[in-house]
Amino acid sequence: MKLTSPPSRAKSAKSVGGSPKTPIASQSDLFKIFKSCKKKSPKSIIKKEILKLDVIANDWICPATPSKGKKNKFQCDRFIPVRETMGEPSEQLRIPQRESGKEQYLNSNELEYQEKLAEACGVSLEKRILAFNLQPPSSQKDDLRQLYNQPMKLSTIQFKRRILTSPERVLDAPGLLDDYYLNLLDWSIKNMVAIGLDQCVYIWNADTGGVTSLERTNPSDYIASLSWSYNGDYLAVGTSDGDIQIWDVLKEQKIRSMLGHTARVGVITWNKHIISSGCKDGNIWHHDTRVAQHKVAELIDHTSEVYGLKWNSNGDQLASGGNDNRVNIWDARASTPRLTKNNHVAAVKALAWCPWQSHILASGGGSYDRHIHFWNVSSDARVKSIDTGSQVTSIIWSKDFKELLSTHGFPNHNMTIWSYPTLNKTADIPAHESRILHSTISPDNQVVATAASDENLKIWRVFQNARKNEKSKNSDKENTGSVFGGCTIR
Amino acid sequence: MSFETKNIRENISLKGSTKIVVEFFEFALNSILFQRAIYPPEDFKMVKKYGLNVLVTIDDSLKSYLKKLLTQVEVWINAGKISKLILAIMNVETREILERWQFDIQIIDEENKENKGPYKQRTDQEIKNEIQAIIRQITASVTFLPVLEDECTFNILAFTDKDAEVPAEWDDSDPLIIQNPEYVRLRSFSTKNHKVDAIVSYRLGFYDDPKR
Repeated sequence: MKLTSPPSRAKSAKSVGGSPKTPIASQSDLFKIFKSCKKKSPKSIIKKEILKLDVIANDWICPATPSKGKKNKFQCDRFIPVRETMGEPSEQLRIPQRESGKEQYLNSNELEYQEKLAEACGVSLEKRILAFNLQPPSSQKDDLRQLYNQPMKLSTIQFKRRILTSPERVLDAPGLLDDYYLNLLDWSIKNMVAIGLDQCVYIWNADTGGVTSLERTNPSDYIASLSWSYNGDYLAVGTSDGDIQIWDVLKEQKIRSMLGHTARVGVITWNKHIISSGCKDGNIWHHDTRVAQHKVAELIDHTSEVYGLKWNSNGDQLASGGNDNRVNIWDARASTPRLTKNNHVAAVKALAWCPWQSHILASGGGSYDRHIHFWNVSSDARVKSIDTGSQVTSIIWSKDFKELLSTHGFPNHNMTIWSYPTLNKTADIPAHESRILHSTISPDNQVVATAASDENLKIWRVFQNARKNEKSKNSDKENTGSVFGGCTIR
Repeated sequence: MSFETKNIRENISLKGSTKIVVEFFEFALNSILFQRAIYPPEDFKMVKKYGLNVLVTIDDSLKSYLKKLLTQVEVWINAGKISKLILAIMNVETREILERWQFDIQIIDEENKENKGPYKQRTDQEIKNEIQAIIRQITASVTFLPVLEDECTFNILAFTDKDAEVPAEWDDSDPLIIQNPEYVRLRSFSTKNHKVDAIVSYRLGFYDDPKR
C-alpha cells in the first residue's frame, strides 16, 4: 500500500457511500466494482467517450456502477494523480486492445488492481472476435452497369431453347435395308412420309396416322430411292433394276415407269417436272415426266455410284455426290459440272443447299471423312468446315433457327444440331442404336424424321417454332392446299 | 416437477426472447443496408413491422446471406455466447472501415440484476415500442452520418466467448475499429432475458483530412 493511494481511495469511498471506509470495506467495494466492470469492460470504455456526443442522453439507463461517477470526476480532473497511483505502467501494456483512457479503472492498491485487471483481461481475452467470412452479395448497382454494357447479342444467346432429345414418335420400320447408298425416306408437302422397306413402299399419313402401302406388281427388285413431287401428289420410286416409277398416291396407282438405267437408281430428286436420278454406274440422268421420251439429259462425271443429289431452291443448280468422294455442281442445262470438289476423303451422300443463302451448299463425308464442308458455289470457295466425329449420312437445314442438323452413322449414331454460321454445337442427340441412314424434314420445318438400321422411324420435334404454329393456326382455314401450318402428328 | 416446468418455461421465454432479438437484428441490418445505400433502393420492399414501415431486401442472395448469418447468431444467443454483433461498412477497394454499427447483447443476469439498475417486467407492447424507437433512430441517423460516397460493402463480426461453437463460415478477425471515430449511442431495448444496445461509430472529418 503506497502512501499516495489514500487520496484516490478516499475519492472512491466518496462515490460509493460517502463515508470513510476501512481498507477492507473499500476493498470489497472494489471487488464489486471490478465484478461489474468484468462484464462490461469493453463497453465501458466506449461509454465514457460517448458522453461527449450523447444525442439521446435521457434514455440511457445508467447502470448503478459506482465507478461511473468516479470516472466522470476523472474526466473533469487531470490524469496525473491517477497515473501516480498506477504502479508499473507496463502492467497496463499487458492488456491487448485497450484504449488510452483505461487507467481510470485502476485507482486502488496495485496488487488487487492488477489481479482484478488480469481477471478483467482474462474475461475479455476469452472473447473471440469472429467475422462472417462469406462475402455479402455485391451491390446490384454494379450488375446493372454490366448489364447495360453488354452487347445485345448476349440476351439472344442466353435464351435457352429446349430441344427435345427424345423422339415424339417412334414408328416401326421392319425390313429397312441397311445400306448407306440408298435414299428411302421423304416427307411430302401434304404431310405424308414415304418410306421404302425392302420391296414395298409404305406411306404414313402424319395427319391421320394411317398407313398405306403401294402394291407393286413386280416385287423382284427392291426399292432404292424415293422422292415426292413438289405438290405431293406423285411419288417417284427408284428400284434396284434401274426402273423409275411414278405413282399417284391418292389413287394408289402406278402412273408411269421410266426405264433406261442399267443399274440401281440410288437417288432421285425432282425439279418441277424434271426428275434427276443418280445411278450406280455414276451417271445422272434428267427425265422429263411429261413426255414419252423421258430422258432429256445425261450428266457424266462421277466414276462410281451417285447417291447424293440435290437441286437448289431456285432449280438452277444441281449438286451431286458419289462414292468417288467427289462433289459436283451442275448448272441446269449443262452436261459438264461447273464445279468439282474433291476435298472429301470418303463418300458424299449428305448434300443440302442453304435455304436462306442460295449459294451455300453443305456436303457431308462418309466414315473416313466425317467432315461437313460448306461451299460458296458462286465464288467456288470452301467457306467453312466442321469435323463431326462420325460418318455423315444426311444434312438438313432449318431456316427458322438458322441451324443445320446432321445425322450420323459410325460410330456415334447421333444427330447434331449446329448453328450457322457460328458452327457452335447447339445440341447433340443420341438418336438411334445403329446408324441413321435417312432423314427428312416436315413441310412446316419443325419436325425431323429419321430412319435407322435398327428398323425404327423416329420423329423428332427439334425445330419447334411456337410463334409459327400460332400464326398458322389462325390462317389455317384459308390454306386449303399446302399444309404449312401446325403440322400435327397422330 | 415444478422445477422442471419452471425450467421449461424459462427455456421457452429464453427462446422467445432470442427470437425477438434475432428478428430485431434482421430488420435493423436490413434498414442499415438500405439507409446507407449499400444496396440500391429498388432491392428493398416495405413491410409492416413494429408498427412501422420497415424496408427489407428482396434480393435472394442477400436474403440467404443474412439468414445464414442470423441463424448462427440465434444459436449463439440461445447459448449465451455472443456479446456483440457488429456491422462494419467498408470501402470495397481499400477495405477501409467507414462505419461501424455495434449491437451489444447482454443476458439479463438474474442474480446481478439489482446492480443493473431499474428493471421492470416488459410487456410485448413495450418491447415493440422500444424496438420501434431504435429502428426510427437508425433511419434518422442519416442526418448526422457522413455520406458514403464510394462503393461500399459490409462485413459482420461477432464477439463471442472462447468456448462458443464456431461453424466454418466464421473466422477469427480483428475488431475492425475505426481510427478516431465519432460515436453515437442509440436507444436500447430489453426483453425478459436479453438487453440489446446499439452504437454507431463513424469517421468524421472525412473531407477535412489534409491527407485526402
